[in-house]
Amino acid sequence: MNDQGRKLLLVGDNPFQGISHLSQERARSRGETVVSPADKAANIILASVKNGADGFSFSVSEHALSILQTLHERKSIDQVSLYPMVPYAFEYVRVATQTGTPGLVKRFAKQVVLSGDVKAILRGLWSVVRMNPEGFAKTYLAYELSRIKSAAGKQVKLVSVVLNEVIGDMGLALGFDWLFRSFISHLSKRRITPGFNTRNFPYLVRKFDEWGIELDETLIVTPFNKAGFQMNPSKEECEETLASMSCPVVLAVSVLAAGYYKPSMAADYLASLDNLKGLIAGVSNEQQASETFRLFREAL
Amino acid sequence: MRKLRFAVIGLGKMGLLHASLLNTFEDVQLVALCDKSALMSRFCRSIFSSNGVVVVNDLDRFSELELDAVYVTTPISSHASIVKDLYAKGIVRNIFTEKTLASNYGQAKEMCESARKIGGKTMVGYMKRFSVVFGKAKELLAQGKLGEPYSFHAYAYSSDFLGLTKNSKSLASRGGALRDIGCHILDIALWLLGDLEVVNVVPDHEIGDAETSSSFTAANSNGLEGRFDISQRMPNYRMPEFGCLIECPQGKIDVNDDRLLLTLKDGSRKIWYRHDLEDNVRFWLGETEYYREDFEFVNSLLENRVCEPNFETASKVDYLIDQVRKRDRQG
Repeated sequence: MNDQGRKLLLVGDNPFQGISHLSQERARSRGETVVSPADKAANIILASVKNGADGFSFSVSEHALSILQTLHERKSIDQVSLYPMVPYAFEYVRVATQTGTPGLVKRFAKQVVLSGDVKAILRGLWSVVRMNPEGFAKTYLAYELSRIKSAAGKQVKLVSVVLNEVIGDMGLALGFDWLFRSFISHLSKRRITPGFNTRNFPYLVRKFDEWGIELDETLIVTPFNKAGFQMNPSKEECEETLASMSCPVVLAVSVLAAGYYKPSMAADYLASLDNLKGLIAGVSNEQQASETFRLFREAL
Repeated sequence: MRKLRFAVIGLGKMGLLHASLLNTFEDVQLVALCDKSALMSRFCRSIFSSNGVVVVNDLDRFSELELDAVYVTTPISSHASIVKDLYAKGIVRNIFTEKTLASNYGQAKEMCESARKIGGKTMVGYMKRFSVVFGKAKELLAQGKLGEPYSFHAYAYSSDFLGLTKNSKSLASRGGALRDIGCHILDIALWLLGDLEVVNVVPDHEIGDAETSSSFTAANSNGLEGRFDISQRMPNYRMPEFGCLIECPQGKIDVNDDRLLLTLKDGSRKIWYRHDLEDNVRFWLGETEYYREDFEFVNSLLENRVCEPNFETASKVDYLIDQVRKRDRQG
């Protein structure tokens, strides 16, 4: 829910990054694989907000940061609540492919040093000496937070930071409860809601329950759509788990099943899910932004 | 019931991915991890210490662990020597290796021979076979209604090395475009169409140990002919993409990672997206294909049956890659 007790509606950044989960081929043929210029993306975000969206959810890429900077320069950043997702796994995997894992580590270390965040640098060095994974995680988070603040300025409304599913789901599979506890503790101290993006929603809820980690003060970002696309292990289990939760903490993604459904069809299905906190939807232009968010605001 | 005891060698992204997935299987216990890098193994030791997983940087330490299976996810150039060691030292009988099986067909044959002698289960990580869309293509061809395929065009494209100007160490260690991404579409083509022989290598493409693109034609003795185009320098391929157009007397199949388009001779068309093909798995990580692949390997052990693609099957990909490189050298 947002501050007015209504469903939380966020603009997603996939269309700005040239991503289509339905078909890469379709995205290419429509010229959608090219990233939207920051100016255009900022216009779309503001059009979405004008028509009912509460904020912007994005992976912390250089491109997303340039969009934040544009909003900041236009003095519009205070209109948009931010829900960044970290890490931007695609970029790290691409660098690892090109330079190998050592190259990735070197580049990351260089970026942390260049960020000039002395505290993060010292904590990072200490973590290397001690081989302390929690220290690495905190150093990384501090680095990402400093990048967002530096792009968006002091007026930034940073509501939540969401852990990307590649890291979160790996941590879940390996039983790394320390990773989740550390993430929650680090962000909660800064009054930022810790979020977890997952494609294994029932598994995450079961594990958190087993580990005694409360979900009430967190955000879970996970696919919900009529087709059951990316709803593992099944649409039914995801719906049952959602219904069993004590309070609404789930933000639905892939609500259009990556373009498989029109927003009106998606809205009917989402309206039938009582326990949803809200949703994230990607839009490609200002007209689509106003139509989509107006529709979701009316339907949910 | 005793759980199957698994270990993973090589803690890059594929090693960690398989270790994670295996840890979600009820019948599997992740027992040990190995990485030759002292720094990586020290770091992983600090992460895994609370889970009871042993982390070592020397393969010999696996001897005392009574392992049922080992995953080899190290760079391709080390697969043959690691597998040889595992068999020779009696560490394990059942082995999964990431693709490609070996650095060349000669090594692959030796590995197949060793596996035959040992008699355990083997598997190679050609995960595209476990994609629901390529699976649908296999199903449609197996039905036989389209008739015998007579032509194909297969591709593997990515933008991974687009615009890269200096030599990449990583590219060389990944074995070049043929071994890095081309092997997947070669395996898919062999799986869907049967054995192939390279006919002609198209010139003007850099071929060597670290090529970034390659084009060649292939055929079989039944008159099937087709072309492979492989490139890691294609613009606008955010993720690697694999696809194949297969023409048959009664229609054609156009399949890629996202969808399958079937066009029949009478002009009628049907399209299936992943959404239409029950793509969900018990645990998602990376892609749904990885879970299904690991599930197949684990189940082949539990059910004591042959696993596919095993060393023997996968060695055919190494054979084709060697043919392409040999023909190119011959001009």
